[in-house]
Amino acid sequence: MSDTDIHQLAAAYALDAVDDRERAAFEAHYHNCPVCRPEVAGFRETLSQVAAISAVPPPASLKTGVMAAIGETRQLSPLLPESVVDLASHRQRRQRLMRTLTAAAALVVIGIGAFVVGRKSGDDDGYAQAAAAVLGRPDTRITTLDGTGLGSFRVAWSPSANRAVVIGDGLPDPGPGKAYELWLVDDAGPHAVRLLDKANDQKVRRVLPVDGSASQWAITVEPEAGVDTATGEIIFSGAA
Amino acid sequence: MTHMLRNALRRRVAEDEDDAGKDRLGTLLMRAGRGDQSAFAELYDALAPLLYGVVMKVVRDPAQSEEVTQDAFIELWRLAPRYDDSRGSVKAWAATLAHRRAIDRVRSEQSGRDRTEREAQKRPIQTNDVAEQVVANIDGTRVRKALERLTEMQRQAVELAYFGGHSYREVALLLNVAEGTIKTRIRDGMIRMRDELGVAT
Repeated sequence: MSDTDIHQLAAAYALDAVDDRERAAFEAHYHNCPVCRPEVAGFRETLSQVAAISAVPPPASLKTGVMAAIGETRQLSPLLPESVVDLASHRQRRQRLMRTLTAAAALVVIGIGAFVVGRKSGDDDGYAQAAAAVLGRPDTRITTLDGTGLGSFRVAWSPSANRAVVIGDGLPDPGPGKAYELWLVDDAGPHAVRLLDKANDQKVRRVLPVDGSASQWAITVEPEAGVDTATGEIIFSGAA
Repeated sequence: MTHMLRNALRRRVAEDEDDAGKDRLGTLLMRAGRGDQSAFAELYDALAPLLYGVVMKVVRDPAQSEEVTQDAFIELWRLAPRYDDSRGSVKAWAATLAHRRAIDRVRSEQSGRDRTEREAQKRPIQTNDVAEQVVANIDGTRVRKALERLTEMQRQAVELAYFGGHSYREVALLLNVAEGTIKTRIRDGMIRMRDELGVAT
């Protein structure tokens, strides 16, 4: 399909009048197309007005069914705003989305459990105890961050304990004078959590004080002395 | 943070423009996105006739339409934390979601060929049906006027696609017209409607 052809599909796409193959091709195209994206949005607004002429009250049983169902339905995590650190590129956002789709949530819990059990000696004692204390809290939320590069990050955060366990694995060396930095993003914007870990042995194992009402986590690579405003690209992110 | 600033500014502008209804839906959806079920119940009340109506148009069968609409609302609940008001209004987002579900239902149910043949027989009824709805609905005056501004052929193509749930290829088959011609009719029709309704792009 040529580029001209694909621009012509905006109206048919907005009407859901394309086949699966065309739908996939157009969706891969239009989010980053300055012509098609506003066009699709405009057609959708138009169609919602057209649809309103057929509005009809549904049977009361529908509301009962919907409200019962949502009580048992988990909501998705929000996507990190595109410009939280103003540096994530389109390519990275697409990759992050791919990671979101393939993330295996069940592995997170098993992984962390195995880790805590498996590390009981030497220098890691203090960490293991502190981590176990956080993980044992009833309000602890575990997030696997979506990443764009090598390695993985998981954050287990207990708001009631004001503590978060940060676990990174398979991480590349951040480079001379550089370190991994964790950011907590809330309504006021991103705040550095002073993780600043060089990931020796490709690993990060830290328990950090985290105050406030985090809504997102993000990880960048920064100068190891620390910065107040992120300068690196977001390489991992996820909902808190 | 520019994104948050932009959002804050956008909210301020929306309030200034006295766009209270639209803003209310946005607020409800935002609250629902944080797990607030009572906000979602209010959102349901505001959106249910729109979503059920559009699903009924496509699916026809009331029991199936109820199922599809319920699925659409559950999807809305799941996705609420990801709603991005820079990409469109709550109504447009919700209608898109429900319409997509309705289309998936009718397309998975029968092969396109079966449906095309059956729809070909009831096509005149369907067109009248839409016309009656438009006339009956006083709030739809603006939309009716916009629809009137389309050529008969544009209107037919848009309605068969949107309410009939046909792909443009199926519409071409139904009307015995080349696919490229239908694509153009749909596109021209949508552009004219959008401009008639004064939808900003």
